[in-house]
Amino acid sequence: MSYAYLFKYIIIGDTGVGKSCLLLQFTDKRFQPVHDLTIGVEFGARMITIDGKQIKLQIWDTAGQEAFRSITRSYYRGAAGALLVYDITRRDTFNHLTTWLEDARQHSNSNMVIMLIGNKSDLESRREVKKEEGEAFAREHGLVFMETSAKTAANVEEAFINTAREIYEKIQEGVFDINNEANGIKLGPQHLPSNANTPSGGASASQGGACC
Amino acid sequence: MATHGYSGNSFDRWVEQSSIHGTASDNTMNKMQHQFWVAKQTILRRLGKKEDDCVVASDAELDAKLELFLSIQETCSQLYKVVEQYQERLQVLAQEENTFGHFLRTNGELDKTCAGKMMNAVGKAMIYSAQQRVSLRSPLTRLYQEVETFCQRAVEDTSYTVNEMEKCRNDYRGALLWMKNVSQELDPDTFKQLEKFRRVQSHVRASKSKFDRHKLACLQKIDLLAAARCNMFSHGLIVYQDNMATFWKRTSSAMTTVSEAYKGYQPYEFTFVKGLTYPSLKLAAEKSSSPEPKL
Repeated sequence: MSYAYLFKYIIIGDTGVGKSCLLLQFTDKRFQPVHDLTIGVEFGARMITIDGKQIKLQIWDTAGQEAFRSITRSYYRGAAGALLVYDITRRDTFNHLTTWLEDARQHSNSNMVIMLIGNKSDLESRREVKKEEGEAFAREHGLVFMETSAKTAANVEEAFINTAREIYEKIQEGVFDINNEANGIKLGPQHLPSNANTPSGGASASQGGACC
Repeated sequence: MATHGYSGNSFDRWVEQSSIHGTASDNTMNKMQHQFWVAKQTILRRLGKKEDDCVVASDAELDAKLELFLSIQETCSQLYKVVEQYQERLQVLAQEENTFGHFLRTNGELDKTCAGKMMNAVGKAMIYSAQQRVSLRSPLTRLYQEVETFCQRAVEDTSYTVNEMEKCRNDYRGALLWMKNVSQELDPDTFKQLEKFRRVQSHVRASKSKFDRHKLACLQKIDLLAAARCNMFSHGLIVYQDNMATFWKRTSSAMTTVSEAYKGYQPYEFTFVKGLTYPSLKLAAEKSSSPEPKL
């Protein structure tokens, strides 16, 4: 599959908030009520289209358990976007957001787009964190906020795509240096300077991007 | 539109399958690599190098429980020694008391004065007290035996479980070190790297589930040990407490009888230390002239 850009995403947050379920919903459009514990990291990928361009999202779904914390720290490097997830039915996962944010800011590049996600919005009756609180936290720390449900798929698509759109806009504004892979953005094969030598596959349709 | 890298559930299943049915050389290689990181972890630990804070913090509950176990282990062996010394000394004290009582009685019978009678009475009380004191020994011996069994069986058994758990913990932490190492330059779109990561991941998963099992066993066993200890004390100490109360009640009543019988000042005719004769008589006169209620 050819793509114009590749964005590296990471999903972070406490254990059991539904990180893996969000990814599964986004990549496979299905929901698993019982999910194995993530060991280290799992990967997912999906193509999306923004502004007529094919963008491959390479998603790193990290382990939330504390024992893996220092391992997952090495995954922050080179991520263009991060989904910081908490569980609206568990107050403590919301309280830990500051630590996660500090961790993310410290181990990633400063331009990383962070989206705050309050997951499990289908469990309204067990809600412990108000939507307004999430919004306030996001406003205070300059994040984008959304409530999602990996079970009903509400807002899941939007969360991933809006983040991508924001990254895309930043590229257009020239905030991201797309030639520096440390920013978590890779150009697709047909956009590389060595383009002329590569045999053109069926991907010629997406050529002519105004990225350079 | 959707496309997958080397990921997803079906891939994971395939990886696990292939790692189970992998070729022998592949498995040996993996095992060796795992052992390398386990050895590294062991050395780091032995040298007292600072371990990963997050990993240590994630075991906080377990470590707190281990503290409890160490305290039980230590205090039990101390108690074992203390009870042994205590009952030995109790025995010695009772013997001394008995000897003292006999000494007073023999000398009291030789002395025909009032002092002789007093010595005789006190001597009898002492012998009685010594006999009563010995009755404290049997519950103590019982406690001593129970603490001994507890130390040798329950604590030993738990200590074995703890050691097993520590081995698994070391294995798990070694696997985590390995995973951290392969995570440094991980790129999911490079098949070789991802494959390697998957192999490490399956090791971490296996050692984690093993460690989790042992951890649970440890937590439960230590809780049980603490409960068993309380149980042992509440049974063993009740008899001791009762015997102690009876001992004090009986001896104190015996001593009170003696003290009541010889209330006030008893004059004594000094035959050797003549200098004391006059003050003694004077004191006796003062005592008898003062209004004192007689029983």
